[in-house]
Amino acid sequence: MRKGFLFLLVFISISCFSQNKQILYNLTSVPQSLMTNPGADFKYRYYFGVPLLSGMSFKVGSSGFSTYDLFANDGVNFNQKLRNAVYSTNRNDHLAINEQIEIFNGGIKLGDWLEDKGYLSFGMYQEFDFWSYMPKDVVVLALDGNQNYIGKSFNLSDLSAKAEMLSVLHVGYHKNVSEKLIVGARGKIYFSGFNATSTRNSGYIVTRPSNTTMYEQIISSDLELRTSGISKYTADNYNGDVATDVRKQLLFGGDLGLGFDLGFTYYPKKNTQITASILDVGFIRHTKDVENFTYKGYYKYEGINPGFTDLDDPGSVYSDFQDAVKSDTLYNKYTTWRPIKLNASYQYSYGISTEEDCVCTAMEKRYKNAVGAQLFMMSTPRLPITALTGFYQRNFSDKLQLKATYTLDSYSYTNIGLGLSANLGLFNMYFMADNLLAYRDVSKAKSLSFQFGFNFIFKDSNEPPY
Amino acid sequence: MKNYYLNRICLALILMCSFSCTSDLDFNQASDLKLTPVIVGNFSHFDIPASAFIAPDGSEYDLAFDDEEFDVFRDKYFKSYLQRADFYFEINNTINRAFKFTIVLSDSNNNPLTTIKFDIPAYSGSANTITRIEIFQNARLDLLKRATKMGFLIEKAPGPALNQNSPGSLVLRSSATVYLTI
Repeated sequence: MRKGFLFLLVFISISCFSQNKQILYNLTSVPQSLMTNPGADFKYRYYFGVPLLSGMSFKVGSSGFSTYDLFANDGVNFNQKLRNAVYSTNRNDHLAINEQIEIFNGGIKLGDWLEDKGYLSFGMYQEFDFWSYMPKDVVVLALDGNQNYIGKSFNLSDLSAKAEMLSVLHVGYHKNVSEKLIVGARGKIYFSGFNATSTRNSGYIVTRPSNTTMYEQIISSDLELRTSGISKYTADNYNGDVATDVRKQLLFGGDLGLGFDLGFTYYPKKNTQITASILDVGFIRHTKDVENFTYKGYYKYEGINPGFTDLDDPGSVYSDFQDAVKSDTLYNKYTTWRPIKLNASYQYSYGISTEEDCVCTAMEKRYKNAVGAQLFMMSTPRLPITALTGFYQRNFSDKLQLKATYTLDSYSYTNIGLGLSANLGLFNMYFMADNLLAYRDVSKAKSLSFQFGFNFIFKDSNEPPY
Repeated sequence: MKNYYLNRICLALILMCSFSCTSDLDFNQASDLKLTPVIVGNFSHFDIPASAFIAPDGSEYDLAFDDEEFDVFRDKYFKSYLQRADFYFEINNTINRAFKFTIVLSDSNNNPLTTIKFDIPAYSGSANTITRIEIFQNARLDLLKRATKMGFLIEKAPGPALNQNSPGSLVLRSSATVYLTI
C-alpha cells in the first residue's frame, strides 16, 4: 500500500497540465503548426522532418503543488509537507503527462506552381498520455482516517485516471478555397500500445451518528478499471522486455482507432486573421488483451452484534463484507474517446516588411508584427479545461520568427512563453518553452513544457521551378 | 542584421538557462512516508427488552449468551498495520434489575484471551448509563490480534421478579477507534 501511495505521489510531483501548444499554434513558419490546425496558412513546395527529431513535445507540471512543496530539504517532516500539499488541493486539480515524438513527417504541394490543388501532409507520431484528477477524498481517508470526519461522505468518484500510449498515422490536406479562406482536414489512424482507464467510478464511504448503533456506516462502491494491452505484462509467466514489446504493439499488435482533425484560416481583411481547429475527434476500440477489474457493492456495517435469540448465526463481518462488495475480473471489449482539443485565434498584423531580400512567398506581403489572442479548450473526464493566451509575433526577417505568449489558465497567472523559428537555407529549426519565469527556481515550478524540432522546407513560390 | 538578432536571442536563451536554478531537494524523504489513519467504527450493539428474559412458560432466563465470529482483523495487512485499538462502551439499563455483562475474546481453540466485565446496576428511575474505554496496545493488542471469537454473556443478578409486561431494556452501544501505521 505504501508503494502504491508513493507511486501516486511521484505522479503528482512530476505531473503536468493540458496539451495546450499555445506557442506552436498558428506559428506558420513551422510545419508542425499543421498538427495544431490542419487548415493553417502554411505553404510549401514540399517539406520533410528530420526522422525522430522533427517534432518533440514534453509537458511537465502540477496544478496542485510543486516538487519543492514535497521534497524541499528544509527540515520539515516529509509527512507534514505531504499533508499540507494534499490539503491545499481540491478534487478538480489534475495531474497529467503528455509527450509526443514525431517518427516521420512530410508534406508536398499538389499540382504545379501555377495550379492550386492544395497541400498534402502526412506523418506518424508516438504519444503518451496520463491524466488523473487528484483523488482528494481517498487520499485524505488514507492519511487521516475517518475519525475527524464524522458525517462526511468520502466521494469515490474522486478516483478518475487514465493512461495510454499510442502511435498515430495521419494524412492531412489543406487548400485555399478562396483568397480569404483556407480549410484543412486530417485523418488519423490510432494504434494503441496500451490503455488503462478508470474514469467512471462512483460511490462513497460515510460514517455518521446513529440513534441505534453508535454510527451509521456505509460503503457504496462502483469502481471499474478497464485495461487493454497490459495483462500479459502483469502475468506471472511473462519474462520478456516490456519496452520492446510495447513498441511492437504500438505498430502491429495493438488495438485500432480512427479520428480526424478539422481547421480553417480566414482573412476578413488582409491584416486580420481568424483561425480555429478541432483536433482528435476519434475513438479507439479495445478488443485485444482486455482485462477489466470491478469492485462493486453496498455494505452497511453495524458491528459485531450478538443475537441472543438466534440458535445459530453463521454470519461474520469479514465474509459479509466480501459477499456484499465484490471484486471481479471481466473481459468485455470497450471503446475510449480521445481527448478533443479546440483551438481558436484572432490575429491583427501591422508593419509591412521592407527588407530587400524578402523572397515573396505565396503571401504577397509579410507583416513584421502581429498581436492577437488564442483560446484553447480540451475535453476531460469532467468539465473541459480552458486557457486564454495573448501573443505578440515578430517576423525579424523571412528567416527568423519569434513569438511571445502570455497564458492564463487554471494553473498559473504568470505563464510567459517564448518560441523561435529559424530558417538556415532549407533547414528549419524551432524551439519553444513556456512558463519561463519558473526557470528562476525549477523545483518550485508547477508546470514546464518545451517543444523543439528540425525540418527541411522547400518553399512554395510563384516562380516556375526551372 | 539577421545574425545580429539571432545571436542576441541565442545569448538570451543561454543566459536564461544558465541562471535557472533549483532549490535544495531531498528525494530520499519519500522513504519517511508513513500513513497514520485513525478509523472509527461500530464495535457492537444490542437492545434487549425486559420481556426477552421471560421464557414462553413465564419463567425467567438467568442468563443470555451468544458467540460471534471476531474476524474484523483477519486481513493480514490490516493486522500488521494495527498499532492500537480503543473500544468505547455505553450501556444503558432501564430494567429494574441489576446485570453482569461479560465480553470474552477467545482464540480458535476457544481459549479465552481477554475479558471485559461490567457490573450494571438496576434501574431506579434516574439515568443509569455506564461508559468505559478499554484500550488495547502492546501485549494486550497481541491478544486481540489472535482473537477469532467474541462471546457475550449477560447474567441476571437477584432482584424483583420480571414478567412479560416488565418495562425497560438493556442497551449496549459500542464503537472502536483503530490506530494504524502504514
